[in-house]
Amino acid sequence: MKIEEIEKLKNEGVEHLPSKERRDFLRLGLVVTGVFAGGSILSLMSAKRGHADVEGIVLKQYSYKPHYSMVIRQDRCIDCQRCMDACVKTNHVPDYGYRTTILERELVIGPGSKQREFMPVLCNHCNRPPCVRVCPTRATYKDKKTGIVRMDIKKCIGCKTCMAACPYNARYFNEEIRAIDKCDFCWENRLSKGETLTACAAACPADVRIFGDISDPSSRVYKLVHEPERVVWVLRPETGTLPNVFYTKG
Amino acid sequence: MKKMIVVVICSIFICLSVCLSYKIVLAGDDDEGGGPILFTKPVKAVLFDHKTHLGFGYSCEDCHDKLFEEAKGTAEEKGDFTMKSLYAGKYCGACHNGETAFASNTKCAVCHIGVKGMNRLTKTGKK
Repeated sequence: MKIEEIEKLKNEGVEHLPSKERRDFLRLGLVVTGVFAGGSILSLMSAKRGHADVEGIVLKQYSYKPHYSMVIRQDRCIDCQRCMDACVKTNHVPDYGYRTTILERELVIGPGSKQREFMPVLCNHCNRPPCVRVCPTRATYKDKKTGIVRMDIKKCIGCKTCMAACPYNARYFNEEIRAIDKCDFCWENRLSKGETLTACAAACPADVRIFGDISDPSSRVYKLVHEPERVVWVLRPETGTLPNVFYTKG
Repeated sequence: MKKMIVVVICSIFICLSVCLSYKIVLAGDDDEGGGPILFTKPVKAVLFDHKTHLGFGYSCEDCHDKLFEEAKGTAEEKGDFTMKSLYAGKYCGACHNGETAFASNTKCAVCHIGVKGMNRLTKTGKK
């Protein structure tokens, strides 16, 4: 679409625009500046004060203090696996399990051209964690202060129901402790000892994993997630888990 | 006497064939132009394919020895073989600057094949 051509078209006004169309458009964080060609919406302006409201993400509701969260700038990941090594070292993760890992896929971006893509994954520390809901002994719980989904291994009976419930495949059964183990945003081994970053975020050379308190507007995670121009998504939004791990590119 | 001549001729023939086959091997190397280079430092892992770059019409002299020495592994031993240097126009950054070729700070996963890619290439079983 050429802007010069569009500019010559007559603006048809928004009175005939179905309200659903308009609402969907405003949700993108843009302002309707004109309508042309029988209902195509034109916008050249970003609603600076708008904020994203997409499925699976509810912003402006941070019930914890600090509300720990991670933003993953996916296209910067190069699968050097320093995050995984740091996690294994910090949290003594055995080789048959993982607290964080990196997925790989090939995207077809055009005829005969493919693009490699890496995707770091870890526990999403959901606001509505299915694992917590299904645990029969309340061994896994949402930390009341930080919102981190943690494990009380003394209560865990190893029934693995939480493993089945987790849409993010973030849990594994640890044979040594005879309990489920998972990412706890390094609470046990770093944050509770005064560190500010998780081991994986600290180890990343490419600035992929941004960790911080999303309830604090001056934090990097808040700024990244709330940029109106930035596309932010979460994994498996249809499950209604409201994750605290966000993905973005660029 | 005849035997001597036969032996000499035979040995010359053998020598020649050995030399020729060696030359063919060398020529093969030339066609390959160094083959694929796997960099594992400072991060695992980057794949540079000579064939792809020669296919763009570049010759050996375009990079050797201005940007890279021909001996494998020399760049990795240098302390400044980092993305920062690439952005400053060293090593790959001489062309990968957004003008000659795509910029070094874009399309990370085109060159960075990661640990997974490295394991596939070096045939270690661990994924």
